[in-house]
Amino acid sequence: MSIYLLQTINGIGIGMLYFLLAVGLSIVFGLLRFVNFAHGAFYLLGAYFCYQLTRWGMSFWLTLLVAPLAVAALGWLTEKLLLRHVYAQPHEFHILITVGLALVVQELVIVQWGPLGDTVATPDLLQGVVMWGSFVYPKYRLFVIGFTAVLAVLLWWVLEGTRLGSAVRAGSESTEMVSLLGYNVFGIFSLVFALGAGTAALAGVLAAPIRGAEPFMGIEALGVAFVIVVVGGLGSFGGALVGGLLIGIVQSLMSTLWPEGARLMIYIAMAAVLLLRPHGLLGRKT
Amino acid sequence: MQRRHFLQLSALGAAPASLGLGSSVWAQAQSTIQFGCPVPMSGAFAANGKFADLGMKLAIEQYGKALNMPLAYTLLDTEGKPATAVRKVQESSQQKGARFFAGGILSSESLAMGKEVEKAGGVFITTAGADELTGKDCNSATFRWSVPTFGAVEQTVRPLIESMPKAKRWYTITPQYVFGDGLLGAAKNIFKEKGVEHVGNSYHSLTEKEFSGYLTNAAAAKPDVLLILNFGAQSSDTLRQAISFGMHKNMTILIAWASGLEQFESLGADLCDGVYFGAQYWHTADTPLNKELVKRTQDKFKHNPNYSLAGSYICTKLLIDAILKAGKTDQKAVIAALEGMKYQGLTGEEEVRKADHQVLKNYYLLKGKAKAKMANKDDYVDVISSGKSFLPVDQTGCKLT
Repeated sequence: MSIYLLQTINGIGIGMLYFLLAVGLSIVFGLLRFVNFAHGAFYLLGAYFCYQLTRWGMSFWLTLLVAPLAVAALGWLTEKLLLRHVYAQPHEFHILITVGLALVVQELVIVQWGPLGDTVATPDLLQGVVMWGSFVYPKYRLFVIGFTAVLAVLLWWVLEGTRLGSAVRAGSESTEMVSLLGYNVFGIFSLVFALGAGTAALAGVLAAPIRGAEPFMGIEALGVAFVIVVVGGLGSFGGALVGGLLIGIVQSLMSTLWPEGARLMIYIAMAAVLLLRPHGLLGRKT
Repeated sequence: MQRRHFLQLSALGAAPASLGLGSSVWAQAQSTIQFGCPVPMSGAFAANGKFADLGMKLAIEQYGKALNMPLAYTLLDTEGKPATAVRKVQESSQQKGARFFAGGILSSESLAMGKEVEKAGGVFITTAGADELTGKDCNSATFRWSVPTFGAVEQTVRPLIESMPKAKRWYTITPQYVFGDGLLGAAKNIFKEKGVEHVGNSYHSLTEKEFSGYLTNAAAAKPDVLLILNFGAQSSDTLRQAISFGMHKNMTILIAWASGLEQFESLGADLCDGVYFGAQYWHTADTPLNKELVKRTQDKFKHNPNYSLAGSYICTKLLIDAILKAGKTDQKAVIAALEGMKYQGLTGEEEVRKADHQVLKNYYLLKGKAKAKMANKDDYVDVISSGKSFLPVDQTGCKLT
């Protein structure tokens, strides 16, 4: 099999994880017009909760449910107690408070788990690789692709096919209108923020057996998430998916074509999209 | 107390301690011998920095005073960035009167700091790896304790090739900066000499976390040995992902420059099993000073010393010993005291080579052992071999004036 085909498949694997990382950030911005620099901190917490729970003997499969729910609950509380008080303020306040929150979380992680990284074992069922001819790929990464694809469909259905999704989409157009229709707008805000935190945490749980858990992974993840959101279009679910896949595939293909520039190409791709489509691939003009 | 638990407490205490130290140092600048510990305390290499801080703390507390003056130190967070490192060194030198610096985890920051310390009239000892530090970019005020990239490759790649004569195809993964290029260049020279086929290399950036693309390249090249030439968290990520690709089952994996115990603890025994590692320091070395350091670290922190701690400790100790030998804190006198110094070090007989300021010491080739064979919680590896390999001075490119 051609190395480029291998890299494309690998890129899809990376991209699906990137999608999950970025989708919450995108939806939160779409609805709340709130720039959440603490998004990476929820990813970080997801990975560390997974590490801690598996250390306590919980199965990875249960962790996949429990850790994102716990982080979503933390996100819900954070929104309710802290963030909603600055929604009306300029974006500078949003940035200050969420950057501060991200740093506090990072330092708390160091206090609790130390500055060294930790390894999360791949679940027994998914250890090893699959081989098709010369193609070798870890079973766990294939699982991540499949699981994230199912989750993407589920999220799309929630956003497009339910009353809650309609309210969220309408809220991203006009929160006043949704409020006038009798919806509890602040309740929806909290729920969406919790959903964003939960999906970031889920990405952290899924990434933990691949990359381990280490205190500075949140910052790195935030950078990638912003690139994907900008490439795909702010507030766009489909944009997060397309952006994630595009960035993952570009990064993977460049590992063969121009390895030393693979990381750089993520940002070049973003710049190119911004030049050609300033609102992102699937973003709307506002 | 576990190492991890200690670090949790020290992380809590670090900020106020530094602030307190800073203010008291200002008042005592004239009567205190002030040291700087410029290491990354944030970013990808922060874990190394936090242990280096403990190493300097241990040495400063052990001596307490030199020349009847109290010793003190300030922790400087370089963030792993040369520009930040230089700025912090300048500030520390100008505002706190620091003249003696031991630190620098990354070669790029160490190269920059060495020049700055020389200008500031100080002395700098580092554990960074690039050959240039004691090679073409050497300077009169910079010393290096660690074996440079040349020796690290000589003591790992060469013995592995000799022990596995049938492993003729090697693939390398290299960070693209001065340290990685140093390791790669040295490895290529041995490949050429030994008739080994270098079937490919993947360069990556210093911020890379996702190595699956490079590993896909490596797997496609079907090598006998995967040689990982990056450092710290990046080499852990590379190894973790290589093992998830099943590469440990059909090829030998060597990390030429591992950070030792801290890295093995982070990876866990299962990932280390059967993997070869190059290391500057291993806490079981049977030398008087190492035994003393192990005891001192155990007593103080309740864990064994790792490379970052041991490196920082020995660098600080060398500076203090040189000050004592010189009988004054003058830059030239301390440099002269360090030059040619022979001592029983952590790795055995060690010597500061006068002509390029490189410490001549042992480097270790280790092999990860199965969890079931570990005699204690830190017994992650067997020592396969150790030795000293250094370029002759006339080949280093160093011209000290």
